Order: sequence, then structure tokens, then C-alpha cells
Amino acid sequence: MQASEVYFPKDLAEALEFLRRPGMLVFAGGTGILREQGGRGISLPGEVMFLQEIAELRRTSLTERFLEIGAAVTLSELLEVGDSALPPLLAEAARGVGTPAIRNLATLGGNVAARDRFMDCWPALACLDALVELRDRDGTTWMNVNRLVGSDRRPAFPEGGLVTRFRVPLERWDATLLRKVGPSDYPSSDTAVFAFAARAEKGILVEARIAFAGESALRSPSLESTILGRRLPLSAREAAAAAEGYRALASDLPEGLGLQFGVLVDGAFGLLSR
Amino acid sequence: MTVSFILNGEDVSANARSVDRLSDTLRDAFGLVGTRSDCRCGRCGRCLVLLNGRLVPSCIVPSIGARGKEIITIEGFAQTEEYRDIVEGFWSAGVETCGFCEGPKILAMADLLERSPRPSPGEILAHMSSVPCRCTDPTAILSAVPAIIERRARRIYRRAGQ
Repeated sequence: MQASEVYFPKDLAEALEFLRRPGMLVFAGGTGILREQGGRGISLPGEVMFLQEIAELRRTSLTERFLEIGAAVTLSELLEVGDSALPPLLAEAARGVGTPAIRNLATLGGNVAARDRFMDCWPALACLDALVELRDRDGTTWMNVNRLVGSDRRPAFPEGGLVTRFRVPLERWDATLLRKVGPSDYPSSDTAVFAFAARAEKGILVEARIAFAGESALRSPSLESTILGRRLPLSAREAAAAAEGYRALASDLPEGLGLQFGVLVDGAFGLLSR
Repeated sequence: MTVSFILNGEDVSANARSVDRLSDTLRDAFGLVGTRSDCRCGRCGRCLVLLNGRLVPSCIVPSIGARGKEIITIEGFAQTEEYRDIVEGFWSAGVETCGFCEGPKILAMADLLERSPRPSPGEILAHMSSVPCRCTDPTAILSAVPAIIERRARRIYRRAGQ
């Protein structure tokens, strides 16, 4: 096992310089990188950049409309923001990751920037229409987390960019639901997370978002818009019709996940028909 | 490369390569064998240490990542009064642990009480899930917490009175 060159940038500018080197691994909490390396030694690529000394990646700030979270904020630190500021969907997603000790290492940036699958926080952030700040040599880009999905529904994280911050809109939600399906202790091909958030104004449904993600992601704004404008509570027929559209969308999911997705969609629209 | 950090209150340095796990460095370079290195994927909890005051599985922390940080192992924590409060609280509630998980469970309890001075049963069980060893009756852990809190309060009260 070969030792790597390691770097500890002190600020973002230095980190972006290091990021220009081909094959550079970005290491924040490391839980995603090391979780499947059971041998005596750790296997890392030739060059590794540790983000732990970049203070600006560890900041959290709150305004009236947004919660901004640095990419290297750990999930435990995120949960310490408190229920009054942290959207319940995101809190529940963070709480569902590993054990408290794992959450002390795992970062929100690492959770969202996983390349091989969508991890637990993505569906919550997607449902909340959160933005992610990406920095690269050309500058800064703010992007909706929903754009981190490729046309094949697989993760499509921009190459060469560094996740630096998340901006989560602070909105009122009247109904939310977050459920993890599959084996709870480990992300695998049969695990996924379902997130749902809905809001009504004067008894009329104005937002109803559903995101579901594991190895691939489902989110359909066009399907979501078909149910908006209905008066609440939905009739059983309206709820069933809305759920039916989602079932068709999930037809290419593995059978077990597809079934569980259907049950959760029923449950979500059930919340709106009470 | 040489990595410097604070280990159980002392400034130390160790030669570490990028392939080394912190749990192995603690055992091999410092002889702190209370930190085990079993599953090597952060799941079993036998390698827990306090890193900058937070409970972490040291087997998924590269040794070089410890640079500039403060680490407390069970050997270091055993020198504190908080350790005694927890051990006596465990004894009084009949908490029985095995040789693998005793240290990590003590550290996990210390971390819990540091963050939540009066934790709910749900919080206790969730926090202790960091050490999933099944040797211990969870109800005994639940009944140990008030005993630990009481011991700690009595000790602080005694000290304040001196």
C-alpha cells in the first residue's frame, strides 16, 4: 500500500489551487471514503487534500430567509443548529445517518458530493430546493441540488469543483415526511430515502414536493404541479390519482424499492387527505 | 510525516503515513490498547475516542488527520473524576460490559452527558448506539444515567462547599 502526498490548505484559495492537480482526493469527514476499507491500512490515491483547517467551510449562518451551512460542517454540528432553525426534513435526514459517533465525522458536503450514489441528505435538500455553492478555478456557481442528477437519474456531480456551502430556504411546511427504506445501518443498492413536503395557503395546496433517492434519484416538478391548486383535504380519489402518477414514474426502480416508494407516496398524499 | 497532536493532555508527535489509522497509531506508537481496532469501518465502536471533545471512531480517522487536534482515549479519561462518576453509576445500576466495549461505553456516556446533561431515554439509547455491542442490558444503561448524574452533582456540590 503506497503512501500519499497530503496537503492541508489553510483557506479556500489554496484548496482550489490544489484542486487543479489531476486525481486530487478531497477529504473532509472521510466516512464515505473509508467505510468500505476494512483492511489494516487505508488506501488513498496519490494526492489527498484535507479540508479540516479551512475555517470558512465550517461556518453556519442564519438569516430570515435562509440557513447557510458550510460544506465541512459535520452532521452533528448541523443538528446542533436546533429545531427552531433547522428544517425538520433536513434534521431527520441527518439524524438517520450512522451513529452519533459517525455523525461527528460525516460532513454535509461529503454526504451530498458522493459520486456513486445519493446519500441520506440529498432527498431532503432536493425537496427543500436547497442551493449548493460550487467553486472551481473559474469562479463560484450556485446550483439547485436537483441539478446534481444526470439524465440517467444517477449522481452527476460537476468534475473539478469543490462544494463549499449550502443555502437552505427557510419556509413554512404544513406536512413533511422523511423515511429511510432498506437496511438502516448502511447505504446499499436496496436503501433509499423518501422525502415529502407540502404547504397550503388558505386551504389550497400550493407546494407538494417528493424526492426519492438511493442509487438513482426521482423528483418530478411536472408531476408535482398536477396536484397544486387543489383544496385540502384532498378527496380519496384525488390522492389516489396523484399517487398513481408517481407509481408510473418509479416503474424502473428495483421491485422492492418500487413497492416501498408506492407505499410512502400513498402515505404522503394520505397526510393531505386528512 | 510527523504528526503532532495533544494526547490525553500531553503534546505528542508520531510518525504517520497516509495509510495509517488513528486507532492503530494510538495502539502501536503509544501503547494505548484500550482503543481497539476491530471492524475498521467505524461500525463496532470499539475504537471510540474523544477527538476535539467529540466521540469518533478512530479506525476511520487517518492518523495524519489528527494533526493539531486533541485526543482523549479511555486511558486518559480514566484519570478524571467524570470517569469515576460513570463507572460507579454503571456499577450501582448493574451495567455489565464485556472487555471489548467497556471503555467505549464509558466514553460514549461521557460524551452524551457533556452534550445533554439530562438526556431522555430516547437520547440515551440513540447515543449509546455508537457502541452496538449487545453484551449490556439497555435498561441497565437507562437506569445508570440518573445514578451518574446524581454522583456528578454531589461531587460538584461537595467541591463548591470546600
